[in-house]
This record gives sequence, C-alpha cells and structure tokens, in this order.
Amino acid sequence: MFVCLCNGITSHEVAAVVDRGAATTKEVASACGAGADCGRCRRTVRAIIESRGAGRETTSAGPHRN
Amino acid sequence: MKDWLANSLVLVSDYRVPDPSTVWPLLQRRTESLADMGVHHVLVYTSTTDPERVLVILGIHAREPVLDLLRSRVFFDWFDAVGVQDLPAVFAGELFDRIDFDHDEHPAPPVMVSMVTSVADIAELNLRVRGAASAFHAAGVQRFWSFRALDDPHEVLILQQIDDELSARRWLHDSDDAAEWLAEAGVGAYPPVFIGQFQQMMRIER
Repeated sequence: MFVCLCNGITSHEVAAVVDRGAATTKEVASACGAGADCGRCRRTVRAIIESRGAGRETTSAGPHRN
Repeated sequence: MKDWLANSLVLVSDYRVPDPSTVWPLLQRRTESLADMGVHHVLVYTSTTDPERVLVILGIHAREPVLDLLRSRVFFDWFDAVGVQDLPAVFAGELFDRIDFDHDEHPAPPVMVSMVTSVADIAELNLRVRGAASAFHAAGVQRFWSFRALDDPHEVLILQQIDDELSARRWLHDSDDAAEWLAEAGVGAYPPVFIGQFQQMMRIER
C-alpha cells in the first residue's frame, strides 16, 4: 500500500527501513522519505514501526501465506 | 461493480471522516478534477460498524504514473475537504479476478467486506476460492473480487459482496479463509476489515 502520498513511499519501503533500524517517524523520514514532507502519514508510519517492532521481539519473519 | 473494473487502475482507501454524509456532495463537486485524473467511476460505501468510516473506490483510466496521481492536489484537497488529517494508506492495483457465486435476485441490499492481505500466489488464491465455491455460496457470499497491488505482487485487496451483515460476520468468524486473510488486518499499514453498505456510485464520462 502507498503510505506517503507526497513521496510515493510504500508500506514495504517503510518496513524495510524499520527492519534496518529506523525506530521513530523521524528516522523513517530521513531513511526513505516517508513523512518527510507534509507529515500526514506519520500515524501509519508509526503503526508500521509498532508492527515490525512486535514482530522482531516475538516472532520471526514467516513466509507469505496463501 | 462490473466490467468497468477491468483494465483500470483501482485506488481504494478507507478512513474515518467526521460526517460521512458530506462525502458524496463533495465528490460531486469535484467531478471535473476527477475526470482530469482519468477517474471514470467512484463508489462509496459506509461502514455498518463504525458510523464515521467510509470506503472509497476509484476506477481510473490512468494517463499518468500512479505516483503522479497520488501526489496530485486532488487527493490532498479531497482529504482536506472531508476533514481527514491523518492520511490513510492507499491501495493501488488492478482487478485480478471476479468470481460470481450466484446470479439470484436478492430482496435486501448486500454488504461489502473489504480486506487487504498478503498471499504467496494470487492465482492460487483464486483457484482455491473457485474450488470452494459451494462453501462461499452457502455462507452468503454472492461475489468475490481480487485485486493485485501494483507495488507488491503478493499484496491483494479482497472485496466480497455478501447477503447481509449477519452472514458477513458469520463468514468472518467461521471461515478458515477469513482467519488467514485477516491475520494482518489492522496491522501496520493494512486497515482493519471493513464491513459496509453501498451508498453511491458516480460514473464520469469524458
């Protein structure tokens, strides 16, 4: 899904920079540009950070389901 | 929703607005700018579970890259007009398959169930659904649409037209498919499952 409409950043791009260590919306913005302009996607960025953080602590990244 | 979905870019987003009754008049006032973007159909659904939540589907004959469409002022002006401050994630994709489980006339208006999920193989997903057609029909599912995301071949938007809200809730609660598809609903960028009723459709001809 497209998260940052200003810069055309997808949820996968945000998840990738979170997995590489970005842990705040500011760090995500500087790493991939999501939320760097109008900032109105930061709530979704925060949700992705939280979902990836929980995943790192409790589960391994599993395969896609079908 | 019929053939107009084929060969179109489909943009879908759902979000909460302070007053859903303003959505349709505001869309009508933007017919020109929507037409300029290549929008040929707009569908609006309102949630049966959250009085402030709406699902908006745009069918577009895209003349420009999807990123340019998403960045256009039309989107931002639209969200400003309906009072959305935090922008929702937007699904951008194309129709992959449509499956009709029945062709009956139904006395009551159906509900639409929308979800975004990630699958290994969207073709396999559709084969599986076709193979379980009798179970879907028995559960009250009338039609099934799957859309493949442009930015991720594993990401799929699933829309299901179901007899009524009770049947939809039963399907969501009881179905093994629902259990799988809903595993990521409301997680990260994916919205929670949407159950809503059709409100309006606008066809824009140019």
